[in-house]
Amino acid sequence: MNKILVALLMLAVPALVSADSLWALEQSTLTYHVSHPLHQTEGVSHAARGKGICHAGTCEFLIAVPVKSFDSGDSNRDLHMLQVTRGAQFPIVTVRTELPESASGSATIHADLQIQFAGQTVEYKQVPFELAADRKATRITGTIPATLSDFKIDPPSLLTIPVKNEIPVRVEMTWRSQ
Amino acid sequence: MKPNAARVALIIGVSALLSSLALAQGANTTPGQAQQPPENESKAQSRENLPNAPSSGKTAPSLEDLGFPPAEAQGNAKEQALLDRRTHMLKIHQRMGLITTIPLLATVITSFNAGGKSTSSSARDLHAALGGTTGVLYFTTAYFALRAPKPPGTESRGQIRLHKTLAWIHGPGMVLTPILGAMAFDQKSKGEKIHGIAQAHGPVAIVTAGAFGAALLSVSVKF
Repeated sequence: MNKILVALLMLAVPALVSADSLWALEQSTLTYHVSHPLHQTEGVSHAARGKGICHAGTCEFLIAVPVKSFDSGDSNRDLHMLQVTRGAQFPIVTVRTELPESASGSATIHADLQIQFAGQTVEYKQVPFELAADRKATRITGTIPATLSDFKIDPPSLLTIPVKNEIPVRVEMTWRSQ
Repeated sequence: MKPNAARVALIIGVSALLSSLALAQGANTTPGQAQQPPENESKAQSRENLPNAPSSGKTAPSLEDLGFPPAEAQGNAKEQALLDRRTHMLKIHQRMGLITTIPLLATVITSFNAGGKSTSSSARDLHAALGGTTGVLYFTTAYFALRAPKPPGTESRGQIRLHKTLAWIHGPGMVLTPILGAMAFDQKSKGEKIHGIAQAHGPVAIVTAGAFGAALLSVSVKF
């Protein structure tokens, strides 16, 4: 009797910390925008991967994307972007956030994002995102108001004129509940 | 406490400890964290004001969960140094290219007075001197572009391709123009009318300057 009880308890302990539900990032388009008096440039990546683990009414999300996966349409610019963002030294951008499980039913969410990029960790508070749920998939769109100075990135310059400090990142993601 | 109850309590305790250790280890071996600045401190500081900031909870997903192999998440200092050197050299290339534009324009402007019938002319001397200066600056500019390291496997895409293609025009042009110019200068100095291949000095110079200007614009203006 005791042995059965022990076995049941041993099984129960890991189960206590297991996830209630999971979210997986199905599709994503991340677009950074750089402004210069002579250029308006966008770099796009579809290589983000993400996962959300929900437990006790709260979901913890991690989204990661390789820095070198961003394509601006010009290889020279992309290599320069990789250099200024120290993309070889810190090859992955990660975004972490925690949301209530009930948020998936909302039309708008405000997320506190913790972003690791270029060797820096920066928090963006209450970033608004639009949600559009379709059965098990949820489409999320929004813009992260990132700036170069937040991540201690020296603004690249063209013809000695530096780009603007603001580099908003447009986020379009489709998440699927598992 | 009865011996059996004590045994059960001990097993539960060990089991819980092992579970939490395994999860904590999983969280600590996140590849991204090794290359990032101390995260725990910044998290702890910032989370005070963040109602739903990410916690270091045991259920948080890791980079390994997302399928990023540790090698991909690891930083490469050697590659970063190569990129830094490349950018440094290309910045010099860009600045030198802009500086070269000044004597190039001056050479083009002074070319209108460089002809004439006299065997000696200060305007012609000035044109020749400016042309020589342009040549020296041009080849210094080119050196920094040609010697800038490129990460292996990089293929040129976008407007930089046009910039590089135009170099096949202004590069040989910058070699030919001063040679033809020297021939024309020599013929003029002897009181001869410019003849032979030296007659091409003007047209070659125009094409060269045009290609140089287009190369400058190809990386400055988006079209």
